[in-house]
Amino acid sequence: MDPGEVGQLVTSAASGDATAWQALAERFSGLVWSVTRAFRLGNADAADVFQTTWLRLAENIGRIEQPDRVGAWLATAARRECLQCLRMAGRAVPTDDIDQLEGPPARDNPTEEAILRAEKEQEDAERAVALWRAVSRLPARCHQLIRVLMASPPPSYAEVAAALGLPVGSIGPTRARCLQTLRELLVASGITGSSSLS
Amino acid sequence: MPEEHDDELAEELRRLAARLDPVPPELLTAAAGAFAWRDIDAELAELVFDSLLDVDEATQVRGSPERRLVSFTGGGVTLDIEVTTTGPARTIMGQIVPPQRGAVDVRRQQETVTTIEADELGRFRSGPLPPGPLSLRLRPAEGTPVVTDWLAL
Repeated sequence: MDPGEVGQLVTSAASGDATAWQALAERFSGLVWSVTRAFRLGNADAADVFQTTWLRLAENIGRIEQPDRVGAWLATAARRECLQCLRMAGRAVPTDDIDQLEGPPARDNPTEEAILRAEKEQEDAERAVALWRAVSRLPARCHQLIRVLMASPPPSYAEVAAALGLPVGSIGPTRARCLQTLRELLVASGITGSSSLS
Repeated sequence: MPEEHDDELAEELRRLAARLDPVPPELLTAAAGAFAWRDIDAELAELVFDSLLDVDEATQVRGSPERRLVSFTGGGVTLDIEVTTTGPARTIMGQIVPPQRGAVDVRRQQETVTTIEADELGRFRSGPLPPGPLSLRLRPAEGTPVVTDWLAL
């Protein structure tokens, strides 16, 4: 979906078109969900942030200044809700450190058993477990960036930048650096090479 | 080329997340259903202060999670809300500025709307509320209704 189509959906939804809204919900729910997981929110908090973000868009749909960039608007809104949620949970740190926040992995994120069940082949399962574990072990900033990048459909760099509060020009280099860090974590866990699926 | 490897790894990660941690179906439904909450007859009062994220100018102290101060401004009014957390419940105490009587609808996503009356000084308070998204709609004695931006309580 190109930005022009996205902008048109926003304009139509602002005029009351529920079908256009449905298309926006389908297009960007993956992004909003990924932002909640990037900040390591558990299921209940992630659900609250997710729903609040979509309710806010519904109320603001007629006031979006750049309709074709509504993805970035949603990412920014989700980010704000996540930061509020983390503060409410008492993970209190000074503002300038808030992006370095790294809570413990949420108890209800997928377990290794679930991953093993989901994968058909043992090799794939081992790699999947190692990959998922490596992502969770990334330092806070890299974890946030990589987890947002894992959204479906893939987000634009502008949307990633909005989710992280970073300049859009830094996303490319940071992505490269964080993927390299991830590879090093994989090697350290004994998994080498690329996926057998590629 | 390093860039190709990055793209392959990124795609593998994306597929992994889609299998292991997709958007829960009930939340996809909730996102679609959010549209029904839009109030086209009301002015929007936006969040202009949140003690969780901002520092109070008077005290230079950031609020605590247990006592959160938020302010919404729009449609010619400001709503100052104090959110008190006691265990799983939240209570809100509000002040309409300029002070005026009015009905305050408490909008929660899963529940029917309940209404609190603001007194002649524009003060209102709720009973215990569960956590989750919240928006207030002020129906003043005169003038246009005002809805606040949604907030996760």
